[in-house]
Amino acid sequence: MNSIILQCMVCVISLVALQAAAQESPDSSQPLRFEGYPGASEFTVVPRKDGLFFYPGGQCHEAMEPNPEIRTLNTMHDAEIEHGRGRIWCLSCHNLEDRNYLNTLLNELVDFDESHLVCGGCHANRHKDWYFGAHGKRVSNWQGDRTLYNCTHCHNPHKPAIEARAPKPAPPVRAGLKREQGTEHHKSSIWDAKEEHEEQ
Amino acid sequence: MSNESNSGNGGGKFDQARRNFLRGIGLGTAAAVAQPAWGGQTFQDTFADFFQKDYRRMSAEEIEAALERIERKAEARYGVEIDCQNTLPQPGVVYGYAINISRCKGYRDCVHACVKENNLGRDSQVQYIRVLQLDQGDFNLEHSDHYYEPETVPVEGKHYLPVQCMQCDDPPCVKACPVEATWMEPDGIVVVDYDWCIGCRYCMAACPYWARHFNWTVPEIPAEEMNTNTHYLGNRPRPRGVVEKCHFCIHRTRKGQQPACMEACPTGSRIFGNLLDPDSEIRYVLANKQVFRLKEDLGTEPKFWYFSD
Repeated sequence: MNSIILQCMVCVISLVALQAAAQESPDSSQPLRFEGYPGASEFTVVPRKDGLFFYPGGQCHEAMEPNPEIRTLNTMHDAEIEHGRGRIWCLSCHNLEDRNYLNTLLNELVDFDESHLVCGGCHANRHKDWYFGAHGKRVSNWQGDRTLYNCTHCHNPHKPAIEARAPKPAPPVRAGLKREQGTEHHKSSIWDAKEEHEEQ
Repeated sequence: MSNESNSGNGGGKFDQARRNFLRGIGLGTAAAVAQPAWGGQTFQDTFADFFQKDYRRMSAEEIEAALERIERKAEARYGVEIDCQNTLPQPGVVYGYAINISRCKGYRDCVHACVKENNLGRDSQVQYIRVLQLDQGDFNLEHSDHYYEPETVPVEGKHYLPVQCMQCDDPPCVKACPVEATWMEPDGIVVVDYDWCIGCRYCMAACPYWARHFNWTVPEIPAEEMNTNTHYLGNRPRPRGVVEKCHFCIHRTRKGQQPACMEACPTGSRIFGNLLDPDSEIRYVLANKQVFRLKEDLGTEPKFWYFSD
């Protein structure tokens, strides 16, 4: 008899808990906010705001009327955005109302120190790799507290392709050895060889 | 009493021979002190060096004494006070490395960070890392060039492949060593005891990755560029005539730091971590990227992977 009462009580409690959970679950009309990838180990992001030249942008934009019209800027900001091949412009990432914040595609405000959330809106695969450590750069250790550089530490968001630069000096050629020109003197691809053959 | 009776008849002859032998050593070491090949040192240090055992057979006290001798010799040779340690492997850790070759741009920052970190001789032409430049679409290492010097990298139509010690799990270099001066540590790093190495270079012939290097000269390091954080099995000053190799920056990684090449890489192509930790970054790469190893068909089981994405 006692056990039946106990079972009933357990049932009632679990039903109440289920109902509470249903009430707490988010409104399906509201999109879920991104909260990281499950399974990725915890990390902190190196702050970015200290290195920003124009931050806080609100200081200048306070006095200006927000203008959402897509146009070529004739101001102190770069007129050219070499990102997205013309498909995006300032307000795709920057917030119109509050220039101290960025904007995701779902119009969520994002702090400049968390700019990866904006990047991840389009570059989801890279973003996921960054969370798990296959893309991006971890600071100084492999063990212990995980600190990651933000996307914008390496990529200029207005011109994200990494620019070519000079390499560090080549190793010295061993005394008595000659430098072989390696790839200079040979054609590797079959189509190159074929074209040469046809020319002859 | 029993000792005396044992060394009774003929003992005098033996004693004399031993005395002569020891005197010979004494004279030899005195000559070494007069014309030091490996820095000025005291008679006691030279004597202790001569009778120093293989790293794996030394007691903790003997290792401690050896570390102190190394520090004294470095001070005499380079005028720098170094800190030579014997950080032991962490339990439950085996190191693995992965390089994203689609992100490597051939800057060679890793190469030069490595030279500095590991106290490689500036004139002895030893570098642990080679960054190979290959034609796009070509993976024949015979066609590679590691002396490339264009104005800017990456060069269009080329790709880059950094090669260093693969820390094989079945290392052919270890099998080749006739004196067991090189072995694999419990955390998977293949190390060399520079004091036990006889410089026969069999290991260099056995290595399929060109990862071992011979010191033809005494490594020259400017005193101000000397890295004072050193390890017995790693970047302590080496004598002439021994083989050395990449040791995954054993003095850093055993304390949880990244290897110097990884820290220096500006592109973040390098990923390092514990292969036994399923949540580690290296394990994510191995599980989620199309990884491969160089010359895997040789069966040496490198713990060094490449991938592109």
